[in-house]
Amino acid sequence: MASNMKIQSSSPTFQGGISSTLRSARQRVINAVPNMELSGNTNWINKAGEKISSAEQRLILGASALMSQPFIDAHNKNVDEKTRKVSVARTIAKIIAGTLTGFAIRKGCIKAIKAMSQPRGANIPKWKSFFTPKDVNKTNTDAFMQYRNAMGTVVALVVMMFTNFLIDAPLTKFLTNTFIKKQENNNG
Amino acid sequence: MANLFSNFKSSLYKNYGENPGKMLVHTGVLGWILSSLAQVSAVVFNDKISPEQKSFLIPQEIADAGINIASFYLITSSFKNVASKLVSTGKLTTKGIKGALAKEDIAKIGKLDFNIGELKNVPEDYKPFKNGVDVIASTVGSIISCNIVTPILRNQYASRKQKQALARMHTNTQLTAPRGISMAQYQRLSSIKYSSGLKV
Repeated sequence: MASNMKIQSSSPTFQGGISSTLRSARQRVINAVPNMELSGNTNWINKAGEKISSAEQRLILGASALMSQPFIDAHNKNVDEKTRKVSVARTIAKIIAGTLTGFAIRKGCIKAIKAMSQPRGANIPKWKSFFTPKDVNKTNTDAFMQYRNAMGTVVALVVMMFTNFLIDAPLTKFLTNTFIKKQENNNG
Repeated sequence: MANLFSNFKSSLYKNYGENPGKMLVHTGVLGWILSSLAQVSAVVFNDKISPEQKSFLIPQEIADAGINIASFYLITSSFKNVASKLVSTGKLTTKGIKGALAKEDIAKIGKLDFNIGELKNVPEDYKPFKNGVDVIASTVGSIISCNIVTPILRNQYASRKQKQALARMHTNTQLTAPRGISMAQYQRLSSIKYSSGLKV
């Protein structure tokens, strides 16, 4: 605490005052967290960094969305019951459609980028190194794998600008209608 | 053009090759922006919606996009940044990393200026561990933002907009439903649209 006050009083300008206040706030946040030393097998954390690309993250997001979003919509007291039920059906449909297409397209694009970012060489066709950055010779490093994930995700996002209309929207509509019909049948 | 693409590839490699957590946050934001653009253009290019209705729906879409993008970026990047700082200052570490630090470095653990990644002898396990923590933190941040905070904010926003639409209906500047559906159906659809969703 004393050291924090010292940092603040040593700042002559307003800007310096703000930055030192922010700095002391950040330091306080760090101080509030106890030292955590993980023992045992921590390889799973390292593996998460290597293996979880945007495609896997989309799958995790979709699975957890199914557990939370319909529940939030079902408890939205600001709308009438009928709206609420349709809203839940549409949310589930949107999550399923969005997750399936989002995961498949991201995964596909990352694979395609991998195939098209091979190291440059005499025997390698030009298209196979189309996405290889210049001055990069090693393609088996972790950094290069992450580059492929990033480039694949960017390409996937562009692709999804179209599939959003061509696949997501009609699939969401179809699934919503199916779920609503099922709800009505269950209600007799 | 070829030069531009080459620079883009190099910049992607330099910025995200060593930082997958940052990549997930940035591409997530880009995903939300593109998804929002698609939603806005769906209204802009829909012939069945009259210009009066467009003047009402387009700002709604833009505001909705603002909520999505801001909450995603603020929450996810905060999670990622805090986790990243905890690892770089040694607050969150492994037995192997701590064991590889010199005595004077161990004394600096938890200080903002201290960064294990900038030491002369960076422990071998440090980078994979930091990348792993970054990715896990940004994934947890995304789950909280996309699946809890945003739907709650959007539901509140949608119900407010639905009430405004109802109030408008009773004033002189009446809002009419698109061709083929009643005003009640239109309001219900409008509410459903805003009460759910997930990025592309």
